[in-house]
Amino acid sequence: MSVAAGHRAVLDPELASPFPIAAEVELRNPQLRKNVAHAIDVIQAKRGRLVAEKTDWQQLRSAASAIRAHALENLGEYLAEFETRCTAAGGVVHWARDAAEARKIIVDLLRQENASEVIKIKTMTSAEIQLNPALEAAGVSVFETDLAEIILQLGDDEPSHIVVPALHVNRSQVREIFARRMGLPELSDDPRALTAAARNYLRRKFLDIPTAISGANFLIAETGGVAIVESEGNGRMCLTLPRTMITLAGIEKVLPRYQDLEVMLQVLARSATGERMNPYTSLWTGVTPGDGPQRFHVVLLDNGRSAILGKKTERQTLKCIRCGACQNACPVYRQTGGHAYGSVYGGPIGAILTPQLMRLEHAQTLPFASSLCGACYEVCPVKINIPEVLIELRAQVVDQERKQAGRVFDPMYLGMRAAGFVFMSAGRFRLAQWLGRAGLRLFTRKDGWIHALPSLGARWTGTRDLRGLPKQTFHEWWAQRGKEGS
Amino acid sequence: MSTQISSRQLILDSVRAATERLPKQTAGWTELPRRYMRRGSLDAEARLRLMTERLREYDAEVVECAPGDLPAAVAARLAASGRHSFVAPEGLPGEWMAAGFDWKIDHALPTPEIETVEGVLTAATCGVAESGTIVLHHSAAEGRRVLTLLPDFHLCVLRASQVVETLPEYFDRCHTAPPLVTWISGPSATADIEMTRIKGVHGPRFLAVILVRDEV
Repeated sequence: MSVAAGHRAVLDPELASPFPIAAEVELRNPQLRKNVAHAIDVIQAKRGRLVAEKTDWQQLRSAASAIRAHALENLGEYLAEFETRCTAAGGVVHWARDAAEARKIIVDLLRQENASEVIKIKTMTSAEIQLNPALEAAGVSVFETDLAEIILQLGDDEPSHIVVPALHVNRSQVREIFARRMGLPELSDDPRALTAAARNYLRRKFLDIPTAISGANFLIAETGGVAIVESEGNGRMCLTLPRTMITLAGIEKVLPRYQDLEVMLQVLARSATGERMNPYTSLWTGVTPGDGPQRFHVVLLDNGRSAILGKKTERQTLKCIRCGACQNACPVYRQTGGHAYGSVYGGPIGAILTPQLMRLEHAQTLPFASSLCGACYEVCPVKINIPEVLIELRAQVVDQERKQAGRVFDPMYLGMRAAGFVFMSAGRFRLAQWLGRAGLRLFTRKDGWIHALPSLGARWTGTRDLRGLPKQTFHEWWAQRGKEGS
Repeated sequence: MSTQISSRQLILDSVRAATERLPKQTAGWTELPRRYMRRGSLDAEARLRLMTERLREYDAEVVECAPGDLPAAVAARLAASGRHSFVAPEGLPGEWMAAGFDWKIDHALPTPEIETVEGVLTAATCGVAESGTIVLHHSAAEGRRVLTLLPDFHLCVLRASQVVETLPEYFDRCHTAPPLVTWISGPSATADIEMTRIKGVHGPRFLAVILVRDEV
């Protein structure tokens, strides 16, 4: 059982509870909400400062957006070019249509290597395909090496943020996990001591374990190179010391040319962690004799991405560079944290990406987990119009539900049909307004607010107050104002 | 192997079908909008001052020296570090290897031997002032990647002529894309615990830079 969450979060969209139910559990955990709010306040403040100092920020965003859109529009060519260059440089390129195929490719590669242990750089894509359980089932011990991932792995917990996966865990919780799992009862809760404990725990593993698994921030079509952006140096350890490196990357991660990094690196670090540049970025190309792993495999994962690519509004989802800025800006994420999204991708980007990766067969409540305030779009460094995609997906979910048997008398659809009928005529609309005002007056308290409604209305007022309707509509006020001749 | 070939074909077919389904919104790569700042506006002095300032914000030590004083400056920094054993990339200029210290030269040194040294001395390819970034292309004087990773102290020699103001200016200097690159912006760090920045996780905990004033 996870210390931080009090229960083990389920991040498999096929098994997770619908968002409203999962969110209610998280909302009852004040420690979690405090931890999440503190962490995103810090990142948001740093990001705001560094974006403000960049006088060409909007131009960088436009360029980043155009580069990503262009890469997607020509994805077939760029993937083929990446494969050719990477192969010429000594890498081996594999293709996986779905999560199961990707897991099988990686397990088979580890068997060929006779690997009983593997070190890993944080990769959200591996969590997407549920890789760790598959490796453990194949008899391979997995050692996460990112500090946050160690906290989660040893704490039997799940990531709640794309960039800072353990932001829901505070220092005393980390201390408890490390003390228990590393056998260090005297450990203090000073982040310095906790970080040192992680360094010692991993040092021998870096030096001894000959096989590593990573994700990729960018694949460079022009050169066949792969780039990883990180802070701690655990990435560099995994990229440099082992004999064999296996990189798992979504097919959408391709950039046309090396030079495109001049834009992407500038927007990524500022958006993700509020730094001018993250401490370490590594780029390697296939195999370099005498330097780093001498066997290198790339597994290119589709897993629903090519289906998203073919849809007009939804395609932009694939521009995402996983900076997490939308999570930090989202008022819903701020309250619920990441686990409520039932997927490794939480927050606004998760609300659009997860249901699409699931082909809308699961996670149908996620497109509704938003107030459509647009803060996510404003901070997105590649200008993904997340609200636009949310609305499109909502329409698809509703269409899908409407076709299901037994939905004809569903109160929501009855209500929607009634609303449609009312909105079609001005007379009916005015009558409905009058009735609504008369009816709601019964529930409006002296402070002008409605705190509780009966039956279906309680689903709204159970978690929020509703402002009472004003005595006059705008139309009535306007008409009266004319009569008074003022 | 046959299933591999077919997955490749199936993915590429479905990607191409998807991209052909919708009209293209962007131009060719060369016509993509690039109205961001490509070139900086600072003069040479201000550029070097900014580089130094940014490096110091990362807690890196920075000292300057004239080209002729470099060996003495290196010796002084090594002594000041309080360390004795150092590793040198294969192509490091011999006059940088100050006397009085234990030097291991990296003729394909095994990893456990690199793990035992206390520091490393290297050259660099470029410095980016705006973000205080040092770029290594891992040439003979910059060394294999492992050299600047395992030792706890990295002393880096950066020439003023290698310092640019903006990241795009570095890319302008790359006539061909290098196969191996490491961008270093301060010592390794984490903020994973309550967003408290802790210096030194796995990479070198201490970074020092000698800025050689080969142009003013």
